[in-house]
Amino acid sequence: MLRYTWLFISLFISLFMSDLANARPVSYPGGWTSMAHYSTNLWSWHGHYSPTARNSIGYKVVTDSEYDYTLQSVAYNVLLKRWNRPASQANLYIKSGIGVATDDGRTFRGGSTNAGYSGFSMDWEDRRYFTSYESSVTQLGGYDAISHQSARVGIAPYIGDYGDLHTWIMLQVDQHSTDGPDLVPTVLIRLFKGINLVEFGLSSVGDVTLNWIYRY
Amino acid sequence: MKLFKLVSLVIVICVSVALPVFAGEMIHVKVNGLVCDFCARALEKVFLKHESVSKISVNLNNGTVDIELKHDHDISDETVSKLITDSGYNVVKIDRAKPIEHAPSPALPVDIND
Repeated sequence: MLRYTWLFISLFISLFMSDLANARPVSYPGGWTSMAHYSTNLWSWHGHYSPTARNSIGYKVVTDSEYDYTLQSVAYNVLLKRWNRPASQANLYIKSGIGVATDDGRTFRGGSTNAGYSGFSMDWEDRRYFTSYESSVTQLGGYDAISHQSARVGIAPYIGDYGDLHTWIMLQVDQHSTDGPDLVPTVLIRLFKGINLVEFGLSSVGDVTLNWIYRY
Repeated sequence: MKLFKLVSLVIVICVSVALPVFAGEMIHVKVNGLVCDFCARALEKVFLKHESVSKISVNLNNGTVDIELKHDHDISDETVSKLITDSGYNVVKIDRAKPIEHAPSPALPVDIND
């Protein structure tokens, strides 16, 4: 019984996960998106195609230097629900991926293992304010799951129209399973113009974050 | 030289008068959920794929989309609504403005609430 309880809890947690560089993981019908993320211990690239505004499929690669693995996966994201209001929008996404993780052979037998991740993200924004939360779990073979959750608030100091340079100041708080209950805050500057979104961040422990989203 | 200036002036006037004749119908749509440039870009890409659309202008401040049709082309309100809904946004209202060469009739608002 205890085993099934943990299985249920794991599934529940994994259903509600994702990673931060993957904000807006679904595009418009026929849209392509490239999302790159770099931080001190992790970099990732995710390219996806959206056949509809409700889902996207793509390829994602993550290299985690802290856990010492590279995960290549087929990624599938679903926009579960969108709330459109006259001056705001809110979204609920489910994200998942399945693939192969490789290392230098010291941990994974033969240097590779089956792997996958899943989770969820939710956001609300208008032209002035932004909030989001996401949670994810990555499973590397039979090893302990790696969990991550993140929350953000942001404010735009000025409001521009389409095509203008939009600037956001954001505060992000991360919690990784390796850090226990410790929360790591990061201050970010988001620059958004047309089809390019770039973010620069610096955390309280000195980690640098760079995000770039290009949509076409 | 005077003759050249006169002919140029006549050409400019003729072109200015004639241009609106070739302009297509304008569709003005109020849309919910337009909050960022990605939203605007999505609607641009989707509508410019349609054979009847010559130009689209998204105004994030007002949450409006202006769609200019090609001359002698049309697109139904249902199609406009479907393209916007399929892109992930909600249509509030569709107004049509007839092209100048047609009799100036008042635009009839169409409410589409889902």
